Amino acid sequence: MNKIKRFVASLLKDFFNEADKKELIEILSTSLQEKIDDLVESGTPLEDAVKISMQEFGSTKDVLDAFQDESSKLKADLRIRRRSQLIFSIFGYFIIVGLCVFLNLTLLPIFNDFLWFVVVAIGLLFWPVVMGYRYYLAVK
Amino acid sequence: MISSDVIRGHIDTIILKLLMEKDMYGYELANEISLRTKNKFDIKEATLYAVVQRLEMKNLIQSYMGEKSHGGKRRYYKVTPFGRAYYSETISEWKLLKEIMMAILGSDIS
Repeated sequence: MNKIKRFVASLLKDFFNEADKKELIEILSTSLQEKIDDLVESGTPLEDAVKISMQEFGSTKDVLDAFQDESSKLKADLRIRRRSQLIFSIFGYFIIVGLCVFLNLTLLPIFNDFLWFVVVAIGLLFWPVVMGYRYYLAVK
Repeated sequence: MISSDVIRGHIDTIILKLLMEKDMYGYELANEISLRTKNKFDIKEATLYAVVQRLEMKNLIQSYMGEKSHGGKRRYYKVTPFGRAYYSETISEWKLLKEIMMAILGSDIS
Protein backbone atom coordinates (compact mmCIF):
# COMPACT_ATOMS: atom_id res chain seq x y z
CA MET A 1 0.00 0.00 0.00
CA ASN A 2 2.90 2.33 0.73
CA LYS A 3 4.20 1.86 -2.80
CA ILE A 4 0.75 2.71 -4.15
CA LYS A 5 0.48 5.80 -1.96
CA ARG A 6 3.94 6.98 -3.00
CA PHE A 7 2.98 6.53 -6.64
CA VAL A 8 -0.26 8.51 -6.25
CA ALA A 9 1.47 11.17 -4.14
CA SER A 10 4.09 11.63 -6.85
CA LEU A 11 1.30 12.41 -9.35
CA LEU A 12 -0.19 15.07 -7.10
CA LYS A 13 2.94 16.54 -5.55
CA ASP A 14 2.64 19.98 -7.15
CA PHE A 15 -1.13 20.39 -6.91
CA PHE A 16 -3.86 20.91 -4.31
CA ASN A 17 -3.55 22.12 -0.74
CA GLU A 18 -2.32 19.65 1.88
CA ALA A 19 -5.76 18.69 3.24
CA ASP A 20 -7.31 18.06 -0.19
CA LYS A 21 -4.19 16.27 -1.37
CA LYS A 22 -4.22 13.94 1.63
CA GLU A 23 -7.85 13.00 1.05
CA LEU A 24 -7.36 12.56 -2.69
CA ILE A 25 -4.30 10.36 -2.17
CA GLU A 26 -6.30 8.21 0.25
CA ILE A 27 -9.23 7.75 -2.17
CA LEU A 28 -7.07 7.13 -5.25
CA SER A 29 -4.78 4.72 -3.38
CA THR A 30 -7.73 2.77 -2.00
CA SER A 31 -9.30 2.42 -5.45
CA LEU A 32 -5.98 1.42 -6.98
CA GLN A 33 -5.42 -1.13 -4.23
CA GLU A 34 -8.90 -2.55 -4.86
CA LYS A 35 -8.04 -3.04 -8.52
CA ILE A 36 -4.84 -4.83 -7.53
CA ASP A 37 -6.82 -7.05 -5.14
CA ASP A 38 -9.35 -7.85 -7.89
CA LEU A 39 -6.58 -8.74 -10.33
CA VAL A 40 -4.82 -10.92 -7.75
CA GLU A 41 -8.11 -12.66 -6.93
CA SER A 42 -8.63 -13.36 -10.62
CA GLY A 43 -5.24 -15.10 -10.78
CA THR A 44 -2.78 -12.35 -11.75
CA PRO A 45 0.51 -12.52 -9.79
CA LEU A 46 0.83 -9.65 -7.30
CA GLU A 47 3.86 -8.07 -8.97
CA ASP A 48 2.11 -8.06 -12.35
CA ALA A 49 -1.11 -6.75 -10.82
CA VAL A 50 0.73 -3.79 -9.26
CA LYS A 51 2.56 -3.07 -12.51
CA ILE A 52 -0.58 -3.28 -14.68
CA SER A 53 -2.61 -1.14 -12.27
CA MET A 54 0.00 1.60 -12.18
CA GLN A 55 0.44 1.58 -15.97
CA GLU A 56 -3.29 1.80 -16.62
CA PHE A 57 -3.99 4.30 -13.86
CA GLY A 58 -3.29 7.51 -15.79
CA SER A 59 -1.28 10.67 -15.29
CA THR A 60 -1.43 13.94 -13.36
CA LYS A 61 -3.37 15.43 -16.27
CA ASP A 62 -6.00 12.71 -15.93
CA VAL A 63 -6.48 13.54 -12.25
CA LEU A 64 -6.75 17.26 -13.05
CA ASP A 65 -9.33 16.47 -15.75
CA ALA A 66 -11.71 15.59 -12.94
CA PHE A 67 -11.38 19.12 -11.59
CA GLN A 68 -11.89 20.96 -14.86
CA ASP A 69 -13.15 24.12 -13.17
CA GLU A 70 -10.15 24.26 -10.89
CA SER A 71 -7.44 22.74 -13.05
CA SER A 72 -6.54 25.98 -14.87
CA LYS A 73 -6.29 27.72 -11.50
CA LEU A 74 -4.11 24.92 -10.13
CA LYS A 75 -1.84 25.11 -13.18
CA ALA A 76 -1.64 28.90 -12.91
CA ASP A 77 -0.74 28.60 -9.21
CA LEU A 78 2.00 26.13 -10.09
CA ARG A 79 3.42 28.44 -12.77
CA ILE A 80 3.50 31.36 -10.33
CA ARG A 81 5.15 29.22 -7.64
CA ARG A 82 7.77 27.89 -10.07
CA ARG A 83 8.48 31.40 -11.38
CA SER A 84 9.01 32.68 -7.84
CA GLN A 85 11.38 29.79 -7.16
CA LEU A 86 13.31 30.61 -10.35
CA ILE A 87 13.61 34.30 -9.46
CA PHE A 88 14.67 33.41 -5.92
CA SER A 89 17.32 30.99 -7.23
CA ILE A 90 18.74 33.60 -9.64
CA PHE A 91 18.98 36.23 -6.90
CA GLY A 92 20.38 33.67 -4.48
CA TYR A 93 22.94 32.57 -7.04
CA PHE A 94 24.22 36.09 -7.68
CA ILE A 95 24.30 36.99 -3.99
CA ILE A 96 26.30 33.87 -3.06
CA VAL A 97 28.66 34.18 -6.04
CA GLY A 98 29.09 37.92 -5.36
CA LEU A 99 29.98 37.17 -1.77
CA CYS A 100 32.50 34.59 -2.89
CA VAL A 101 34.09 37.05 -5.34
CA PHE A 102 34.34 39.61 -2.57
CA LEU A 103 35.91 37.12 -0.17
CA ASN A 104 38.22 35.77 -2.82
CA LEU A 105 39.54 39.12 -4.02
CA THR A 106 39.52 41.29 -0.92
CA LEU A 107 39.22 39.65 2.47
CA LEU A 108 41.37 36.63 1.90
CA PRO A 109 44.36 37.90 -0.10
CA ILE A 110 46.25 34.74 0.70
CA PHE A 111 44.08 32.98 -1.90
CA ASN A 112 44.39 35.74 -4.49
CA ASP A 113 46.43 33.55 -6.75
CA PHE A 114 43.64 31.03 -6.97
CA LEU A 115 40.25 32.25 -8.20
CA TRP A 116 38.26 29.68 -6.25
CA PHE A 117 35.03 31.67 -6.63
CA VAL A 118 34.85 30.36 -10.22
CA VAL A 119 34.47 26.82 -8.88
CA VAL A 120 31.65 27.95 -6.59
CA ALA A 121 29.99 29.91 -9.42
CA ILE A 122 30.01 26.90 -11.74
CA GLY A 123 29.01 24.42 -9.05
CA LEU A 124 26.11 26.55 -7.88
CA LEU A 125 24.77 27.00 -11.41
CA PHE A 126 22.75 23.80 -11.00
CA TRP A 127 20.34 25.71 -8.73
CA PRO A 128 18.92 28.29 -11.20
CA VAL A 129 19.24 25.79 -14.06
CA VAL A 130 17.09 23.21 -12.23
CA MET A 131 14.57 25.89 -11.22
CA GLY A 132 14.51 27.15 -14.81
CA TYR A 133 13.81 23.65 -16.07
CA ARG A 134 11.02 23.15 -13.53
CA TYR A 135 9.48 26.47 -14.60
CA TYR A 136 9.75 25.40 -18.24
CA LEU A 137 7.90 22.16 -17.44
CA ALA A 138 5.14 24.07 -15.64
CA VAL A 139 4.70 26.48 -18.54
CA LYS A 140 4.79 23.66 -21.07
CA MET B 1 -13.11 5.17 -29.15
CA ILE B 2 -14.14 8.46 -27.53
CA SER B 3 -11.81 10.22 -25.12
CA SER B 4 -12.82 11.74 -21.80
CA ASP B 5 -12.22 15.23 -23.24
CA VAL B 6 -15.34 14.99 -25.40
CA ILE B 7 -17.64 13.55 -22.76
CA ARG B 8 -16.02 15.28 -19.78
CA GLY B 9 -19.08 17.30 -18.78
CA HIS B 10 -21.18 14.18 -18.44
CA ILE B 11 -18.95 11.96 -16.32
CA ASP B 12 -20.73 13.04 -13.14
CA THR B 13 -24.08 12.03 -14.62
CA ILE B 14 -22.74 8.68 -15.82
CA ILE B 15 -21.36 7.83 -12.37
CA LEU B 16 -24.53 8.91 -10.61
CA LYS B 17 -26.64 6.80 -12.97
CA LEU B 18 -24.53 3.69 -12.38
CA LEU B 19 -24.55 4.18 -8.62
CA MET B 20 -28.33 4.68 -8.62
CA GLU B 21 -28.67 1.22 -10.09
CA LYS B 22 -26.32 -0.43 -7.61
CA ASP B 23 -23.70 0.51 -5.00
CA MET B 24 -20.24 -0.04 -6.47
CA TYR B 25 -16.58 0.40 -5.58
CA GLY B 26 -14.15 2.39 -7.73
CA TYR B 27 -12.70 -0.31 -9.93
CA GLU B 28 -16.13 -1.91 -10.34
CA LEU B 29 -17.37 1.43 -11.72
CA ALA B 30 -14.47 1.57 -14.19
CA ASN B 31 -15.21 -1.99 -15.32
CA GLU B 32 -18.94 -1.31 -15.65
CA ILE B 33 -18.30 1.73 -17.88
CA SER B 34 -15.94 -0.26 -20.12
CA LEU B 35 -18.43 -3.11 -20.29
CA ARG B 36 -21.48 -1.00 -21.14
CA THR B 37 -19.71 1.13 -23.70
CA LYS B 38 -17.90 -1.89 -25.16
CA ASN B 39 -14.60 -0.07 -24.52
CA LYS B 40 -15.65 2.84 -26.75
CA PHE B 41 -15.33 5.34 -23.91
CA ASP B 42 -11.77 5.57 -22.69
CA ILE B 43 -11.89 7.10 -19.21
CA LYS B 44 -8.68 6.89 -17.23
CA GLU B 45 -9.05 5.46 -13.76
CA ALA B 46 -7.19 8.47 -12.36
CA THR B 47 -9.97 10.70 -13.72
CA LEU B 48 -12.77 8.39 -12.63
CA TYR B 49 -11.58 8.00 -9.03
CA ALA B 50 -10.89 11.73 -8.75
CA VAL B 51 -14.41 12.50 -10.02
CA VAL B 52 -15.78 10.06 -7.44
CA GLN B 53 -13.85 11.91 -4.73
CA ARG B 54 -15.18 15.24 -6.01
CA LEU B 55 -18.77 13.93 -6.00
CA GLU B 56 -18.32 12.73 -2.45
CA MET B 57 -16.98 16.13 -1.41
CA LYS B 58 -20.09 17.71 -2.94
CA ASN B 59 -22.23 15.27 -0.96
CA LEU B 60 -23.75 13.82 -4.14
CA ILE B 61 -22.53 10.35 -3.17
CA GLN B 62 -21.26 8.81 0.04
CA SER B 63 -18.92 5.95 0.75
CA TYR B 64 -18.95 3.07 3.19
CA MET B 65 -16.72 0.08 3.74
CA GLY B 66 -18.34 -3.11 2.55
CA GLU B 67 -17.37 -6.72 2.06
CA LYS B 68 -16.66 -8.10 -1.39
CA SER B 69 -18.22 -11.50 -1.98
CA HIS B 70 -14.77 -13.07 -2.39
CA GLY B 71 -11.77 -11.28 -1.00
CA GLY B 72 -11.00 -8.13 0.98
CA LYS B 73 -13.02 -5.10 1.92
CA ARG B 74 -13.99 -2.48 -0.63
CA ARG B 75 -15.00 1.17 -0.34
CA TYR B 76 -18.46 1.24 -1.87
CA TYR B 77 -20.27 4.35 -3.03
CA LYS B 78 -23.98 5.11 -3.01
CA VAL B 79 -26.01 8.08 -4.21
CA THR B 80 -27.40 10.52 -1.65
CA PRO B 81 -30.88 12.10 -1.98
CA PHE B 82 -29.09 15.27 -3.03
CA GLY B 83 -27.27 13.27 -5.71
CA ARG B 84 -30.58 11.90 -7.02
CA ALA B 85 -32.00 15.42 -7.28
CA TYR B 86 -28.87 16.58 -9.08
CA TYR B 87 -29.14 13.64 -11.46
CA SER B 88 -32.78 14.49 -12.33
CA GLU B 89 -31.74 18.05 -13.02
CA THR B 90 -28.89 17.03 -15.35
CA ILE B 91 -31.18 14.60 -17.17
CA SER B 92 -33.61 17.47 -17.85
CA GLU B 93 -30.71 19.53 -19.23
CA TRP B 94 -29.58 16.56 -21.31
CA LYS B 95 -33.09 16.15 -22.81
CA LEU B 96 -33.17 19.83 -23.70
CA LEU B 97 -29.71 19.61 -25.28
CA LYS B 98 -30.80 16.53 -27.23
CA GLU B 99 -33.88 18.37 -28.53
CA ILE B 100 -31.76 21.32 -29.62
CA MET B 101 -29.18 19.13 -31.36
CA MET B 102 -31.89 17.05 -33.03
CA ALA B 103 -33.63 20.21 -34.25
CA ILE B 104 -30.42 21.35 -35.90
CA LEU B 105 -28.61 18.16 -36.87
CA GLY B 106 -31.59 15.81 -37.00
CA SER B 107 -31.39 14.66 -40.59
CA ASP B 108 -27.63 14.14 -40.40
CA ILE B 109 -27.57 12.07 -37.23
CA SER B 110 -30.71 9.97 -37.53
